[in-house]
Amino acid sequence: MIDTALFYVFALMTLGGGILCITRRNAVHAAIWLIASLMGVAGLFLLQRAEFLFAVQIVLYIGGIMVLFLFVIMLINLDTAAAERQYSGQWKLALGAVVLAGGEIAWVMARGLPGLGAAAAVQDGGEGGSDGNVERLADLLFSEYLLPFEIVSILLLAAIVGSVFLARRRTS
Amino acid sequence: MPPLPIPEHPPVAWYLILSAILFGLGVAGFLFRRNIITVFMSIELMLNAVNLSFIAFSYQLKQVSGHIFTFFVMVVAAAEAAVGLAIILTIYKNKSTLEVDEINSLNN
Amino acid sequence: MPDGYLPIFVFLPVAILFPVVTLFVAKLVRPSQPTPSKLGAYECGIEPASNSRGRYTVRYYIVAILFVVFDVETVFLYPWAVRYKQLGWFGVAEVAVFLAILIVGYVWAYKKGAFEWV
Repeated sequence: MIDTALFYVFALMTLGGGILCITRRNAVHAAIWLIASLMGVAGLFLLQRAEFLFAVQIVLYIGGIMVLFLFVIMLINLDTAAAERQYSGQWKLALGAVVLAGGEIAWVMARGLPGLGAAAAVQDGGEGGSDGNVERLADLLFSEYLLPFEIVSILLLAAIVGSVFLARRRTS
Repeated sequence: MPPLPIPEHPPVAWYLILSAILFGLGVAGFLFRRNIITVFMSIELMLNAVNLSFIAFSYQLKQVSGHIFTFFVMVVAAAEAAVGLAIILTIYKNKSTLEVDEINSLNN
Repeated sequence: MPDGYLPIFVFLPVAILFPVVTLFVAKLVRPSQPTPSKLGAYECGIEPASNSRGRYTVRYYIVAILFVVFDVETVFLYPWAVRYKQLGWFGVAEVAVFLAILIVGYVWAYKKGAFEWV
């Protein structure tokens, strides 16, 4: 009952933020609405017991990536950027893509998927016994997904080198 | 408009439909915006839609693997944002424009 | 939703409503007689020289990038900290490799002068 009510609230946040994000002319406003949308998604994560990802979504996405976006918007000259044309002539293609996605959803809803209509059973520990979400995630991350974990550090190294190199060259 | 259905817990299909709509919004923004930064934000919207369905399936199937995939998607999104925004800065410095259609120097 | 998060969702509207209601009530109660000297910058303040939406230097961006990258690193350390005892020395070795690779990037950025504030 309360879960469903919260689902509606977060879904409204997610979709409203998303629609406003892609329609606002001002890039700063678009970024703010994207943050609202991301917070809605974080709430939906929490509703599905992904507590760790709820925190990561806030810390990493909203606190990190969106701040980076706002920095870049501030770094470039807003006035000239806002004066440029904002919408491309591809809106017909965009409309087609949205209609396609909507048709797909309608088809799935009309046909129904076995088992997907049923309410998800409340996940109480699962095979991990009394362990919480973070513990189970840590167990999996440091055993089965060990190699991806180590490769992430190489990805981050590449991100440091690439972005610092690109941003440094600008100043010299 | 019919009254909103109120089950005890929202079924997983709702999350999947929401995720599909969010992905559609991302695609639309990606196609019809010209400002390269907003195009980039639309990509973030699409990534979030995918994350949402990962979590929905993982909740339904009682597996934590979906959470790990989502975690890695977020990390890749962070790396992508860092490098992508640095590229946008360089483009803006060289061409003084943010319009995607103007950035066509690789075209013929 | 996991139990124990309900207080957050109770606090959220309270936290949003409190400043709004306070400011609104204050607006109702206080007298309002604006004069030019009252609206101007106070004695020790100065008139703003330019638009606050001006351009920042790119050095802030480098710091922001490094913040995001090491933010990701910290997030990865959190599950390790939760399972520190169970993972033991194996976990320490894994995280040491992870950190060693990232420290290479840190040292590179340092050598490159990304932290110098000219």
